[in-house]
Amino acid sequence: MNSAHSAPNPPAVTRVSDTEWQAVDDGLAVGRADASQRPDGRLFVSIDAWQDTVFDRLATALLADLPAPLHTVADEGDHDTLAAWRRAGFTAARRERAYLVPTDPQATGLGTALPPEGVTILPAGLAEEGPLRALERVIHDEVEAGAGWPAIPAQVLPRPAGTLVVDPTKYAVACQGDRYVGLIRVTPPRRPRIGLIAVRAELHRRGIARALLAHALDALHRGGTATAWAEVTETDTAATALLEGVGARRAGSTLELVHR
Amino acid sequence: MTKTTNGIEVEGTVIECLRNANFKVELQNGHVVLAHISGKVRKNHIKILPHDRVLVELSPYDLTRGRIRYRYRN
Repeated sequence: MNSAHSAPNPPAVTRVSDTEWQAVDDGLAVGRADASQRPDGRLFVSIDAWQDTVFDRLATALLADLPAPLHTVADEGDHDTLAAWRRAGFTAARRERAYLVPTDPQATGLGTALPPEGVTILPAGLAEEGPLRALERVIHDEVEAGAGWPAIPAQVLPRPAGTLVVDPTKYAVACQGDRYVGLIRVTPPRRPRIGLIAVRAELHRRGIARALLAHALDALHRGGTATAWAEVTETDTAATALLEGVGARRAGSTLELVHR
Repeated sequence: MTKTTNGIEVEGTVIECLRNANFKVELQNGHVVLAHISGKVRKNHIKILPHDRVLVELSPYDLTRGRIRYRYRN
């Protein structure tokens, strides 16, 4: 965005659908805005404009047309966009850090990370869907009772109407006897991303998450993948310590902003 | 209400990830532009990496600048 290009007659902004707005100058779209609802019900908006004045007009239209609160995300390194959202009255609510996680056991130091006694790791694709779905439900409920899903990276939010999409090929599972007690989800194979690591609350701090991470990273390494992505909420000290402890390096951060 | 046409849209390949959420993208005609991620791509947490094929909307005010609107499945 650049205020130096501000046109003398700002483009007209129109709502072109329930979820889309457009700024038009001389028949050409010079800015657009979009709104969509996350599975947890929060309304997220985005704006693209080449000029500050157009961004501001689109933001005014969104704020007038949509109910508060409105949320958005911006790269913390994108100072122009952050400034534009702040001009519109949005304030930072949460910071999410992106990490690049090495997979080589020599780099992670996870070569000897075994699960605690009595716990075994079931490789991706071998878990039974029913018990896996039940474990996901337990973990979702535990999160809901604790930090809450709005404090968790967006991709792991529960689906609407209480349904959970569980694909066993994406999950490795920690088992205690025949009971599923923890999971790690890695997707997709071409651009691996650690989407969720979770262990039942009563079994925290026993090394199960570390063993799950070791298993998943080792599988990626053997498949020829050098790094995986992960996103962690800044306040999640346990996940941050887990990733930084295996040599993950920060690769940017995203701010979630809100207008109340 | 109908939508107007988009700006100039060109396919390209990401050749470098820069600081401040910018990318160097080589367009099909060989030109290299500086592009940032569109709000919609950002909102959907879509990662852009070198060698990704992307759709870039060029700025009507500066044809060396663009915005990545879509990442193709390579």
